[in-house]
Amino acid sequence: MRHWLLLLLLLAAPARAQEDAALARLMAGFAAQPRSTAAFTEEKAIPELDLPLPSEGTLSWQAPDRLEKHTTSPIDEVLRVAGGRLLYERPDRGLRREFALEEQPEMQALVEAVRGTLAGDLAALRRHYSIAFTPEAPEHGWRMLLTPLSLRVRSAVQRIVVSGRGPQVRLIETEGGGGVSRMQIHPRS
Amino acid sequence: MRRLIGALLLLAALGGTLGLSIGIRTDLAEFLPAGRTPAGAFLLRELRSGAATTLLLAGIEGAPEAELARIARETAAGLRASGRFAFVGDGTTTLGEAEQALLLRYRYLLSPETRPEAFTAAALRPRLEALLDGLRSAASPLLARFGFADPTGAFLGLARAWLGESRVETRDGAWFAAGATPPRALLLARIAGAGLGAEAQGEAIAAFRAAFAAARPGPARLLLSGPGVFATEAAAAIRADVELITLASAGLLAGFLFWRYRSPLLLGLVAVPLAAGTIAGFAAVALAYGGAVHGIALGFGMTMLGVTVDYPILLVTLRRPEESLAGAAARIWPTLRLAAAAAATGLAAMLGSGFPGLVQLGLFAGTGLLVAAATTRWVLPWLVPGARIAARPLPRPLRSLLEALRGRRAVAPALVGLAALGLLALGGPAWQRDLAALSPVPRAAQALDAELRASLGAPDVRLILALGPGTEEAVLAASERLGAAVAPLLGGAVQGIDLPSRYLPSIATQQARRSALPDAAALQAELATASAGLPFRAGAFAPFLAGVEESRGLPPLTAARLAEEAPTIAARLSPLLSRRGEAVEGIALAQGVTDPAALRAAVARLADPAILLVDVKAETEGLLAAYGRATLLWALAGGALVLALLGFGLGRPGLRAALPIGGALVVTLAVLTLLGEALSLFHLASLLLLAGLAIDYSLFLATPGDDDSLEAVLNCAVATLLTFGLLAFCGTPVLHGIGLTVSVGVASAFLLACALSPRIARA
Repeated sequence: MRHWLLLLLLLAAPARAQEDAALARLMAGFAAQPRSTAAFTEEKAIPELDLPLPSEGTLSWQAPDRLEKHTTSPIDEVLRVAGGRLLYERPDRGLRREFALEEQPEMQALVEAVRGTLAGDLAALRRHYSIAFTPEAPEHGWRMLLTPLSLRVRSAVQRIVVSGRGPQVRLIETEGGGGVSRMQIHPRS
Repeated sequence: MRRLIGALLLLAALGGTLGLSIGIRTDLAEFLPAGRTPAGAFLLRELRSGAATTLLLAGIEGAPEAELARIARETAAGLRASGRFAFVGDGTTTLGEAEQALLLRYRYLLSPETRPEAFTAAALRPRLEALLDGLRSAASPLLARFGFADPTGAFLGLARAWLGESRVETRDGAWFAAGATPPRALLLARIAGAGLGAEAQGEAIAAFRAAFAAARPGPARLLLSGPGVFATEAAAAIRADVELITLASAGLLAGFLFWRYRSPLLLGLVAVPLAAGTIAGFAAVALAYGGAVHGIALGFGMTMLGVTVDYPILLVTLRRPEESLAGAAARIWPTLRLAAAAAATGLAAMLGSGFPGLVQLGLFAGTGLLVAAATTRWVLPWLVPGARIAARPLPRPLRSLLEALRGRRAVAPALVGLAALGLLALGGPAWQRDLAALSPVPRAAQALDAELRASLGAPDVRLILALGPGTEEAVLAASERLGAAVAPLLGGAVQGIDLPSRYLPSIATQQARRSALPDAAALQAELATASAGLPFRAGAFAPFLAGVEESRGLPPLTAARLAEEAPTIAARLSPLLSRRGEAVEGIALAQGVTDPAALRAAVARLADPAILLVDVKAETEGLLAAYGRATLLWALAGGALVLALLGFGLGRPGLRAALPIGGALVVTLAVLTLLGEALSLFHLASLLLLAGLAIDYSLFLATPGDDDSLEAVLNCAVATLLTFGLLAFCGTPVLHGIGLTVSVGVASAFLLACALSPRIARA
């Protein structure tokens, strides 16, 4: 019995090292793209609602820390993050609001996950989340399960799953407050 | 010589002791009179210790926008950490979590939206649709947090109203002045505590500067303004200005006297009566006012005692070659006595003005003058019994010019008549009606303050509404009545109004809102109707139902509770609601008033004894006009007294001696008006000083005799011009006004006295 355990550990250790190396390679791949644009389609399920809420638009990334989510349907709106500030604009209502990211745990959880991944900044990701990584295989893409470390953030968002192929994010799933949001990403460049 | 040095040392020691033991007050407000009307009294109290005195406004500029934002954020963080500020406003101002929880719990008691009809299906339906719309948007996580607990948006509406600064743009977590190029970041801070002394304000300002420096500003500059800054830093700047000018003019004066008399002894002699007079004046005011002497009275009093520099000069110059100094003093004493008594009588006019500052000033200068004259008569000859100081002859061209002028009586009426005509043509002297011009704050600093106030949306304090005094509940209720009366004007005649009840409704209102809330079953039914056909699941609004139910049992919030549990909101409320002894007083500040008459009418229609509208500008103008009139009246009375004194002392020649005095006043007024100077109390005070000087010139030149008197008076006039002429070049309005008035006046008084004096019978 004890031998088995030892054997498992011996087998697991190199596997763990391999995963870490794969994650580091993936991150290096992201870091090599200082900017990118992609189309997205999103479906939100909110526990208080009977229907899922769909939306679509474009996502743009500009290293080191600027992320923009431009929704074109069903409403035209822009969510822009730079540094620790969050800007929300909705032209049809003439609405323009600025927030500090840290005051909005729901947004913070998502933003730091996407931003950390696109920046290829593993250290930043590890500051905010514990990471369970599944490397890419021929039959499936890579998958990163992020659990917020901060209790405050975790009360709003329980987990985020980022997955993709190569240095491209294809799907972001966010679970929080009993709701799930799935954002599919279709890279353009 | 040894006695002189001893006397100077003694005076220095005496002056130092007095200055240290009695102390000086520097508060401008204490210089002003207590108001005679309720509005005036309120205004002056606000000026002294009101909420406005603790406000600091700051701009940061001189760097790229992103850098300015970083500096502003870090400065604000430093200010909050310093603990010296009750409130720091910038783009990152938010409610803390405990505060948010309290306000969320009390949302329905605090929100003006709480009315029975707000909880009907018809009112709820659009709210639910808006919530659904928001949930579709990218900001849905923000909405989901409060949306189901507060679908009517009561809490978010409150938070926005309390924190929002409508005219300020938030970029990168910092406030920026709208449309300013180059960009200017803005900060607002309220110093903790009320009715602070200048020292505490100075410390808070130093803390502000330290926080800015700690934010590594690089090339960026901090522009700081507010009453506290005026009180400490602007005053310090003026002091430095005065010191520089005093040094420069003392140097010039010493140079001039040395050139004329070639005697360092004279410089010492000139200093003795001046110092003795200053100390006597200081002591007299300290005795009469039981302690502190106001800094302004001291400053202006010393300025007025400048006239006493004349006395030793006259004494030394008029001494005949064979005469001892004591003999000369005895000989000129009747004239000197009359001059000093007349000048002191003129100053006595100020005692009747009713303006505490001016009364102090009159007492100070009057006492000082008499003591200085007595010192010249009895002390100076004893200090330097053997002194043989004589003026060097005047340069020839100057001498012949003056002799040519002397006795040309026609010149004087012509000049004065021309001045009087000019004055009439210009519509008489203009009176300064703006309190700002009385303030010793430089114009540039005032302009910066106005600019920062405008871009921060800080209320312009032209119109203040006083509420109460009464109980907290009474003041809040008055505030609500006022709010209702002003509501129709908002967006038109008035941009906004900051009321205490905006942050804390009265208990009666909170109770009324509480009873407007429906019970759980009724609300459930309305909600069910409202959400028919919308994709909300059953139970989605359970937190809303629970919140309304809880609100129905909440005890109303009070200011004390708010201060304990909601520091940010309490900091916004505290300047508007203050406790004075047992009673509570409130103020409401109107912003962007474009039609004061409409606001006035709205308040008048209320006819509410607990609401008083104070038009700051009109009220200060009224105050100034009243005290200006009183001062002028007493000055006229003083002038009549002086005339009587001169007539009694010298008969007809004495009355003739009064002509140059009146003439100089007319000419000076004409020149000031021509230069576009509006007359303030400081000009009036300078005119009184001028009258004192003109009496000297006139009396000493009126005595028929040798041309020594002409020389002596010329030396006096030049000495005065050197002292005051430099002040005319000062940027500070007050100093500039005094310098200009005295310089113009002395020149004209000398010329008039010279022209009116008898021609010398030359052998």
